[in-house]
Amino acid sequence: MQAFNTIAFKPEQCTGCNDCMVACAEVKTQTTEISRSRIQIVPADGGGYELAMCRQCGDPKCVSNCPAAALAKDDGTGVIAWDGNKCVNCLLCTVGCAYGGIVYEPAAGHVVKCDSCGGDPVCVKACGEGALKYVTTAELYKRVGDLEDLFVPGLAGCQGCNTELIMRHTLRRVGPETVLATPPGCIPGMGSVGYNGMVGTKVPVFHPLLTNTASMLAGVKRFYKRQGRKVTALALAGDGGASDVGFQSLSGAAERGEQILFIVVDNEGYMNTGMQRSSCTPYGAWTSTTPVGERGKGKTQDAKNLPLLMMMHNCAYVATSSTAFMEDFYEKLEKAMEASERGFAYLHLYSPCTTGWRFPAAQNIEVARKAVETNFVMLWEFEPGQGLRLSHPIDRPRPLAEYLKAQGKYKHLSPEQIEHIQRSLDENAEFIRGLAAGGSARKGVTLPRVPIAPG
Amino acid sequence: MAETAVATKRPKVIVCDGNEAAAWGVSLANVDMVAVYPITPQSSLVEYLAKFVADGRLDAEIVDAEGEHSVLSVLQGGALAGARTYTATCGPGLAFMFEPYLRQPGLRLPMVMSIVTRDTLTPQSVWGGHQDAMSVREVGWIQIYCETVQEVLDTVIMAYRVAEHHDVMLPVNVCHDGNYLSYGAARVELPEQADVNVFLGERNVNWHAALDPSRPMGVDPLTGGAGGPGPKMFVKYRKGHCRGMQNALKVIEEVHEDWARLIGHRFAPLIESYAMEGAKFALVTIGSMTGAAKDAIDEARARGVPVGLVKIKTYRPFPAQAVVQALGSMQAVGVVDRSVSFGWDCGPVFQDVTAALGRAAARVPAMSFIGGLAGADLTTDHFARVIARVAQLAQEKTPGATVWLNETD
Repeated sequence: MQAFNTIAFKPEQCTGCNDCMVACAEVKTQTTEISRSRIQIVPADGGGYELAMCRQCGDPKCVSNCPAAALAKDDGTGVIAWDGNKCVNCLLCTVGCAYGGIVYEPAAGHVVKCDSCGGDPVCVKACGEGALKYVTTAELYKRVGDLEDLFVPGLAGCQGCNTELIMRHTLRRVGPETVLATPPGCIPGMGSVGYNGMVGTKVPVFHPLLTNTASMLAGVKRFYKRQGRKVTALALAGDGGASDVGFQSLSGAAERGEQILFIVVDNEGYMNTGMQRSSCTPYGAWTSTTPVGERGKGKTQDAKNLPLLMMMHNCAYVATSSTAFMEDFYEKLEKAMEASERGFAYLHLYSPCTTGWRFPAAQNIEVARKAVETNFVMLWEFEPGQGLRLSHPIDRPRPLAEYLKAQGKYKHLSPEQIEHIQRSLDENAEFIRGLAAGGSARKGVTLPRVPIAPG
Repeated sequence: MAETAVATKRPKVIVCDGNEAAAWGVSLANVDMVAVYPITPQSSLVEYLAKFVADGRLDAEIVDAEGEHSVLSVLQGGALAGARTYTATCGPGLAFMFEPYLRQPGLRLPMVMSIVTRDTLTPQSVWGGHQDAMSVREVGWIQIYCETVQEVLDTVIMAYRVAEHHDVMLPVNVCHDGNYLSYGAARVELPEQADVNVFLGERNVNWHAALDPSRPMGVDPLTGGAGGPGPKMFVKYRKGHCRGMQNALKVIEEVHEDWARLIGHRFAPLIESYAMEGAKFALVTIGSMTGAAKDAIDEARARGVPVGLVKIKTYRPFPAQAVVQALGSMQAVGVVDRSVSFGWDCGPVFQDVTAALGRAAARVPAMSFIGGLAGADLTTDHFARVIARVAQLAQEKTPGATVWLNETD
């Protein structure tokens, strides 16, 4: 099986401005006649717009209909190419297509279709509304699709949980020469270390204490290094253990520059034990130990910003990621893997919890994306000497309310609490942008005023 | 391996304290990895280790961890990758280490850790006493208590043979008294490295449980709850741990015998009987106090008092059979502890001795004496008082309450 990049259309963001069609016509026909554009945005029944354009189908009817073998799907790019030397102008291809993706163009005298501009489509670049996007995640599939999945099938996560996605992708990429630590939490709870003598991974795995993940891995790595063996020491840990009771060993290992790839999967609490508060739980959030009642209104303090703390350890690499941005994650994972051969590499992965955050299982990626697009969390990376860089800057954030309303754990919030969250968010965003603008995070940084938690 | 070499070379003699002696033992034992964190009265020990590594005398990976909890955790990781490991701690450091400490024997990971014994907080004290080591006596580590500086050095090395023996596979605490052994300097003979190499052989510490990509396994998965095979599996592990402890009794004796043959130093492996021939009643001691106690026994014997002494060297596993054999026919026994059993208002060694005698149905009147807490000296005068009280007990057969020896010093 193959995967290919593709042009995706979000009708809810399309304003019908025609910019994409103009751009296409200019490139493909050297005119501004939008009727000759390979992309056609047309009014939809019931309002809005819809897209008529070649989908570069996996099972293309245009190709199978063609009696002259003038259409062929490219194995490398997935683009269906038309060969004018073979075409007999029978137009059977247009009959096969359900998308209006291949049509006869009188001015040209033959059929025309989208060729994705060789992987750099002008229509996408012309769209100022974000309605068109060139989706390149297929590259990931091509790169890692053939790598072995090192977790067994059937891990016992909650419905809709992203963590299994993280576990499978990470281990697949990091590979079999790995020792994996999964401290108490959702990840071993899903069965990675297993029960009754059974184990959920194909690499050596262990269940450290909640408190000593980084220390145990440091010992493992030091001994293999001493023996001249290249083994990746990998942690897949929860935010609770890492930010609270395990922080000392994490900080110690980072300070010593232990060669560890430490990944924190942040679901904002002790979700495996029943959704209790951790220091990564955000202000206002309901948890089972910050319940909502006559007096209680959720957590009364802001979340500890663990990745920033790790950055101040001057680790070899520190980055934040989100399960909704897998390409960004892979890029950072690869940098972190490389950095973990030099020193301590830390990845902080924001991963919404369907069960504990109170939203439907099908909405996990959507909630994760909203967290980033509202600037509730920010995606960045840090390397010593190069400072902090925003890897996915959001200059026009979506309203915070869209994110908060998506989750039951915030449904009790008062206007004052929402105002507090907005203020903290703004201050955090300003602080992170300041770090990014300042280049090296170690110079020119002014700490922001610490938000005072009411109540 | 024992047949191959005999100690023929002239031993190198140095003068050092117990902390340096332990570091020499580590250096001679070809340890792969040490992790260190300082605490009184252990600190100079880890300083010696760091210096030995810096000087190239000890070719080990040294991890300056950020606390005792991580010290032992680092070494657990190292051992699961195959390393021979060592550390030392005491008192509050041991308390902070307790979480991974609890886990080490269950993982059946051999290692050696010195406890430079110190009284536990609170009351605040940085001075010697066995309360720290005694507080962890039921966790499943082997515990051996030294009497002299030479014994500290030799026992650290011997302990690796015990720990790594395939019938044992358990961690060993070599305990030496804070202040009296940690800082007390003495003449010490250094064994030849070649002889120690022959004695210890190749290490193989993770044949049973490893974190190694070349033989992937899950280390210590959950055993599972009621209704499945979990509890049965749990029992199997627990029983195996107890069996390993009992096997250690025999292994400790063999190892001491081998050491005596190869190196020429002979120490009592489980208990030492001193002046027990013809004794009608006896004292039981543990650790460095034994020297003063032996002097007091000599004085009493010279006066015709029929008193002997039994020193506990191996405390966990408790050498119950040897204790009963030595003490079962005594008319009275006085046990001197350097720590307290709060639950029984007596010393912990006293509890063990009386339990062993009781299980063997040997009716021996016994009394508990507690002394040497918080660094207090236990002198021949103290032991003369103990001897007198136990002589009285042998006559009257009515044990009194626990005697606190330094109460009126």
